[in-house]
Amino acid sequence: MNEKTKSKSPALSIALMSILTAVVVVFTIFPRIPTPIHGYINLSDVIITFSAFLFGPWVAAVAGGLGTGIADIIGGFPQWAVFSFLIHGLQGLLIALIARAGLKKGVPGDAKIYMQILGGVVGMVVMTGGYYLVGGFLYGFKPALVEIPLNLLQSGVGVVLGIVVSKGVLKAYPPVRSLAL
Amino acid sequence: MNTNTFIAGRGFLYWFDARAKLLTVLLFSVMVFFPSQVVMLAILMALIFIVAWRAVTFKQALKPLRTLLFILVVMALFIPLNRRDGVALLVIKSYVIITKEGLNQFLTLALRLLIVTYLCTLYIWTTPMADINLSFRWYGLSYKVALTITLAFRFIPFIGETFTMIRDSHSLRSAHGESEGEKFHIKDLVPTVTSALVFALKTIPHLATTLEHRGFGSGLKRSDYKVLEAKGGLFIHFLLSAIILLTTFVLLNSI
Repeated sequence: MNEKTKSKSPALSIALMSILTAVVVVFTIFPRIPTPIHGYINLSDVIITFSAFLFGPWVAAVAGGLGTGIADIIGGFPQWAVFSFLIHGLQGLLIALIARAGLKKGVPGDAKIYMQILGGVVGMVVMTGGYYLVGGFLYGFKPALVEIPLNLLQSGVGVVLGIVVSKGVLKAYPPVRSLAL
Repeated sequence: MNTNTFIAGRGFLYWFDARAKLLTVLLFSVMVFFPSQVVMLAILMALIFIVAWRAVTFKQALKPLRTLLFILVVMALFIPLNRRDGVALLVIKSYVIITKEGLNQFLTLALRLLIVTYLCTLYIWTTPMADINLSFRWYGLSYKVALTITLAFRFIPFIGETFTMIRDSHSLRSAHGESEGEKFHIKDLVPTVTSALVFALKTIPHLATTLEHRGFGSGLKRSDYKVLEAKGGLFIHFLLSAIILLTTFVLLNSI
């Protein structure tokens, strides 16, 4: 199977989405970065931003949504799974769509840096706003305010590291371009 | 890395069909958001806790409560800010701390959150992951999405293990040798994450080729290796589901 054929194969899209979903799950549950207020942030947003920049909107939406949903189920927060699926799915979709706006060829990660940052900022708003709305609905809008700073920090770290890591992966493993759908 | 959420136990939840149980959990979760009395929500929560206790152990049944403890405390602390009107229950130096309406609002929100959490948790505790996936398939989830989920579960432990090895090998190179368990810092992140991602991405073409060798994408009907079987017939399970939902609806609207 040559690279061109592979890029159109349904098997490749399933393989790509499965592996990236598994990566999102692992990076949501596993690495915990301590914050100054004795909390932790996870790296799900790094992988969602990375997927959006290298593989486009649909892969980012599926991997981000399914990955965080599965991570919630495995991690003991199943009540959040449906909401995480929707919020992170939309986050990945929008980051990629905005980053690649105006781009004629290549992956969204080749776009101008300000478009990538704009996409990332929109993703931060979607993620933080989405969890605030759901939190407000589940346990009141004032208590839900508590989560905003941590979610902003997590998605902000995700955008910065997502951009850095996608550049790093493009440099370290150039064949990744042939995997983009 | 353990991806199994199923806990072996006893009781009707283990007998109950995964498809009927999924429908019950969804409709039940929606129903608790209908306007209802706090007392009724509390009774419902008590019943759900007893069911959880019977199905698994008491210690295990307390676990979802522990995960919610922080947010419940935050909710309690926000009562004075949420509702300042109504009948004062606690006043300190002419400052109203708790009103009857505020307490009522807190209890309603807390009980709803607890009920939804326990329902979802009980579902994943008492249903094997394969049955959950098959239930979604029964409700119309496409084969491709179900396969994506199955493959993701297959690769989670592998990628988790790979990540640990890469993190450990990177930490051996750094000057600060002391390990801090699973915590690590921003400066260690980029090389570790990049290496782990490159490793994961390299498995994609192999997985795609494997899927094609197994006939994926050929257009032929896929084989089903496992089929959901409802003991006593699926109709009985959905009837039981309807009875549970109807009883809950009557209970929530009885006052």
